[in-house]
Amino acid sequence: MTRRELLKNSSLAAGAAIAGNIQAATAGDVPKGKADACIFIWLGGGAAHIDTFDPKVRGDGKKKPGSYYDAIDTAIPGVKVTEHLSRTARLLDRCVLVRSLTHDISGEHAAAANLLHTGRMPSGTIQYPSIGSIVSHELGSKSDAVPSYVVMGYPNITRDPGFLGAKHGYVYLTQIETGPTGLVRAPDVDSARQDRRETLLARVRDTYVQRYPGDEIITGRAAISRQAFKMAGPRFLNVFDLKRESASIREGYGGEFGQRCLLARRLVQAGVRFVEVSYNLNFLNGSGWDTHNEGQLKQHLLIQDLDQALSALLADLEANKMLERTLVVVTTEFGRPPEFDSGGGRGHQSKAFSSLLAGGGLRSARVVGATDDLGKTIVEKPVTVPDFHATLHCALGINPGKNLYAGDRPVPITDHGRPISELFA
Amino acid sequence: MRAESLLCVLCALCVRFFIGVIGLDPTGVYFQPVNASAGLLADAEGARLRPQALAGFLLAAALVAAPTSDPLANLPIQVEIFEQVPTGAPFQLEGLQPTDRYSEPAFAFVRTPTKFSSNAIPTDRSTPFVLRASYARQLPAGRYHFRLRARGAATFLIDGQTLLTTKPQKPNTSGDDPVPPPVERGNSPLRPASYPHQDATVEFVSDGEKHTFTLMAVIGGKGLYPTPGELAVSFGPPGTIERLLGPDGSPQLTDAAWEAYVTASQSRHTDADIYRRRNVSQSVVAQWEKRHDNVRQYLATRPAPAAPAVASTARIANDIDRFIAARLDSAKVAPQQRTSDLEFLRRVTLDVTGLIPTAEEVKAYLATPAAVRRKKAIDRLLENPSWADHWVSYWQDVLAENPGILKPDLNNTGPFRLWLHQSFADNIAFDRLVTELIEMQGSVVLGGPAAFAQATLNDAPMAAKADIVAQAFLGMKMGCARCHDAPFHPFKQKDLFSLAAMLNGKDLKLPATSTVPMIEGGRKPVVTVALKPGEAISPDWPFKEFVTHDETGLLPNTGSLPTRRAVAARIIAPENDRFAQVIANRVWKRYMGVGIVEPADDWSRAKPSHPELLQYLGHEFMRSGYDLKHLARLILSSDTYQREAAAGLTPQTGAEHRLFAGPARRSMTAEQIVDSLHLAAGKSFDCEELNLNPAGDRSAAQFLNLGKPARAWQMTALSNERDRPALALPIAQSAADVMSIYGWRQSRQNAATSRDDAPSPMQTLILANGVLGTRLVRLSDDSYFTEAALKNTTVEQLITDAFLRILSRPPSAAESKTFIELLKPHFADRKVAGAEAVKSGPKTDSRVSWSNHLSSEATLIRLEEEKKLRMGEEPTKRLKPAFRERFEDTLWALVNSPEFVMVP
Repeated sequence: MTRRELLKNSSLAAGAAIAGNIQAATAGDVPKGKADACIFIWLGGGAAHIDTFDPKVRGDGKKKPGSYYDAIDTAIPGVKVTEHLSRTARLLDRCVLVRSLTHDISGEHAAAANLLHTGRMPSGTIQYPSIGSIVSHELGSKSDAVPSYVVMGYPNITRDPGFLGAKHGYVYLTQIETGPTGLVRAPDVDSARQDRRETLLARVRDTYVQRYPGDEIITGRAAISRQAFKMAGPRFLNVFDLKRESASIREGYGGEFGQRCLLARRLVQAGVRFVEVSYNLNFLNGSGWDTHNEGQLKQHLLIQDLDQALSALLADLEANKMLERTLVVVTTEFGRPPEFDSGGGRGHQSKAFSSLLAGGGLRSARVVGATDDLGKTIVEKPVTVPDFHATLHCALGINPGKNLYAGDRPVPITDHGRPISELFA
Repeated sequence: MRAESLLCVLCALCVRFFIGVIGLDPTGVYFQPVNASAGLLADAEGARLRPQALAGFLLAAALVAAPTSDPLANLPIQVEIFEQVPTGAPFQLEGLQPTDRYSEPAFAFVRTPTKFSSNAIPTDRSTPFVLRASYARQLPAGRYHFRLRARGAATFLIDGQTLLTTKPQKPNTSGDDPVPPPVERGNSPLRPASYPHQDATVEFVSDGEKHTFTLMAVIGGKGLYPTPGELAVSFGPPGTIERLLGPDGSPQLTDAAWEAYVTASQSRHTDADIYRRRNVSQSVVAQWEKRHDNVRQYLATRPAPAAPAVASTARIANDIDRFIAARLDSAKVAPQQRTSDLEFLRRVTLDVTGLIPTAEEVKAYLATPAAVRRKKAIDRLLENPSWADHWVSYWQDVLAENPGILKPDLNNTGPFRLWLHQSFADNIAFDRLVTELIEMQGSVVLGGPAAFAQATLNDAPMAAKADIVAQAFLGMKMGCARCHDAPFHPFKQKDLFSLAAMLNGKDLKLPATSTVPMIEGGRKPVVTVALKPGEAISPDWPFKEFVTHDETGLLPNTGSLPTRRAVAARIIAPENDRFAQVIANRVWKRYMGVGIVEPADDWSRAKPSHPELLQYLGHEFMRSGYDLKHLARLILSSDTYQREAAAGLTPQTGAEHRLFAGPARRSMTAEQIVDSLHLAAGKSFDCEELNLNPAGDRSAAQFLNLGKPARAWQMTALSNERDRPALALPIAQSAADVMSIYGWRQSRQNAATSRDDAPSPMQTLILANGVLGTRLVRLSDDSYFTEAALKNTTVEQLITDAFLRILSRPPSAAESKTFIELLKPHFADRKVAGAEAVKSGPKTDSRVSWSNHLSSEATLIRLEEEKKLRMGEEPTKRLKPAFRERFEDTLWALVNSPEFVMVP
């Protein structure tokens, strides 16, 4: 008997024993938060921490490194943010600033964005799911009339469900005006025409089902086909109708990005578990958050736009008594160095950058970690991407050490991530 | 260099630089695989059909026979390709031998022939290389205007005298160029130079004698795409419309004539590539056939198990049915009934070509005598070129083909889809295919098997490949062993890395990430980590239970790494019957829905449901010379395959209950759905070129041009991880949306044999409401159904036509009644007198590219286009809305019935 044959014969029993061990090994002591939904605001491109949440001494836009703007006081005593975040500054006591995020991928946006969404580097043996898919998988749908994971941005690999499978994928829209792909009818199909279509469909579908009596796969397909049109019905689509909000609320949120944040609140209200809101209105400054060269010159327009929308979102969530149960995350793939490039902009910096957390029942009004005088290196409490993800999962009541399964292969939700314990009561 | 200054320098130097930008660089289709343009349109005889664009939609298809002679021979313009040209003096070609010679009909060169290695594998030319075109003709006395159009450095000579030159193209590194201005053509009928082409013009006076004309052009180079762009020389007397230089009557330099020339040229080159490749391949085939003779001698000493004698009354078409009947009989289970003839046709057409049958095929099939119609359909379909298209999508999954069109960095491979497609198109022996894959030679970026070797941002690429090869061809899934000894599998981390080292050709160091960190005081690890990071592992064959010897036998010597050849030789060794059985089981599973062994890629703990049938199929596969079509024909011809689906049979059914009373009930794959929808509607794919660098001024490794898809397998991840509106390809995205929801993986970071395509409400909704579904039921002037609605003389005929075309069956009585009631009141008065067909089809602005994606203008262009696309395309004006909308609703109901996406 060869070694492999020997193993073959004993593998089933061994497998069972190992599986038992894995369960035991993951039931560690982790905080369990009370949030039941997450709004994940994505500043794709690499938002400059020293021009937003971690301001330092002023630079000159040329030779002298430093922040590009002045800093202002906030609702957390002794903590400053950039002057263009003045509205958020007043609400900062509802927030946590994480100023010590760190990882090694500064060269490529795609790889870093993938890391921030999945918490891992690609392995080549499986595709890791995005955090949105994991949350969808763990918390499930609140109702079968709404999807659990919605993206406002472009479909891409970083947002994919990976080994969790298509049912934990997302519904997406790229602009408020175009609506969620697949859910909104073609513009020339009014409800009378849709009724006619569904009546005709029912005729063909019934003929089909009758031809294969007792075939469960076909009956199941037919049932899903009927159920699907309910999901595309008014109950969920009305969520996308922002005109149902008062004009003052809508105006308070600002432009397209603000409207996306407003929609995010409505989606969470309707039962969606994870909403990713992309800030990709790159036409405002010609580069988005990837502020190389001249992109820097009008970066303040992005920051002000973010400030209006974010502050409106926090205030609105609070007014609707949703903030405690809704985790708001503002994050990005990396930060930017204090030095300026030859065009007056900034390169990439992954060794130290910032994110903002709010609500979700976290202990707020605090800053986690610190960087040096120019925001280049971390001097206090580095937070790795797995740690960051572990914190988000804990806030949502998900054990970050729990195993998910890619086939029979156990994969912990985070790669040894440890939550930032001080944020949990 | 800043973008602005780059433009200024060039503008000062060239004649017409910044004009004309709408047209796609026609070389985009450079990468288009063979038959791609014909992919969706294959006729009943299996010959290749080409779409002919007429008034913007596909009205007719021309029959094109497979090439029997070189389509690039005996044309008037002689072309030579020179590689390794002197740096700094690319046009000093004296003493250099051309590496390729062919001919063209006129002085327009939008594509160069694919270079094939001695074993017929696509291979890179040196970059840059030089194209030299020569021609001589008599030119009537008088004055002529000559125009050289090129993307990069080129020179044009008459009688050895240099008359025109263009400047080298500069590599671009900017992402914030301005969007090039739209084409301005003024009053001239001439096709303007599209960005970034240069025009150089000169006046030439002919004495009426014979003159010689020579063009030399640099193609590619560091940081440039190795394609010619719209390289051309045109000429004519002042005041006339220029024609391409060539014999009298050569095409004029107008948009229409140019586009027709490009289409013809693409098709000529596609055929030439096939012809040349098969020519080169002949001696390779002979070598493999010699090996297959030896395999047959070996098999004579180890005959396959004899098919059991069967007492039951089950229909027996071939031995497969005997093996199946034996177990059915002993379990006292009756086989399923045979499907109806029409159900069979739809099933077998989908399984072989990936497409539903056309209404014409249905009619021809029904006109064939019942006794032979199934056999004739199988014979016909196995010769259909779509055979290749349908297999490529399968192996893209199994072999984790994962190209990235934008700075690939997420475990991306190169696009070895081209080599896969040609391998199936040529039906090369499967042992040869496996060997070529493992040898990993040829072009990385232009689709050779070397592209399989790539794994960007992966610190142990060969470990990833070892896992893929082992599960694809031996059913050994080793993924877990990447980081630790596999707890559920009979192999160790060292086994995977020993095989990886063989593919690597030398010792491999274990990367720090390929381990499970042991945390001090942390939880107790449940897996054993036997290897240490940094430890060197030597090449060694880990599967000695399959084969122990290390002879490469009769493998043609291709100069690949000896240890790679050793891996291939052991996998395909005749005494290794695991290989043949794994492939036979894969083919079985693909046609029957469930494997004899499950999971098909992980045999270590699996039990075959029919071990003797498995041996028999493996034996047949080897005996046939590893001919996939032989296996396919055996299975498709069996009565077992032709029966109605067996209830409850799924891949999870235990081996003891897997009786195969009939095949499993299956749904169509994403590719089958999307391709079949296009086929039914008669609309072409019509999405953007999968390329973010239309100007060709960046390296192919960073910006792959995957061409314009004609079939769904040619789609790729759109790589917008940056989440930037100007990097979106909205039309392609609408197809990718449907495909992703139906189980296609935009990212194939790992190998997969089965897809996650379980039914979901979103599957229904994306077809019902999405941009692609909306387009395909819209009665625009490029829809088959618009023509059908105009031509059919009765509403009954029209309804039957739609049912046959979409569902491959006539309507039931109840259905007829419903649809007649709907359509009849509006049928007689449906036509709008005098209304004309207009060119339709979605369109996005090809000026938007990586080079300008950061500009506000590019962003706003794409955002507007997304909104417009959502509106759907213009409906035809030839049908009155009352009828048109009702007929669209009819098509919508047929397409959205679950019946459409299920394999009968």
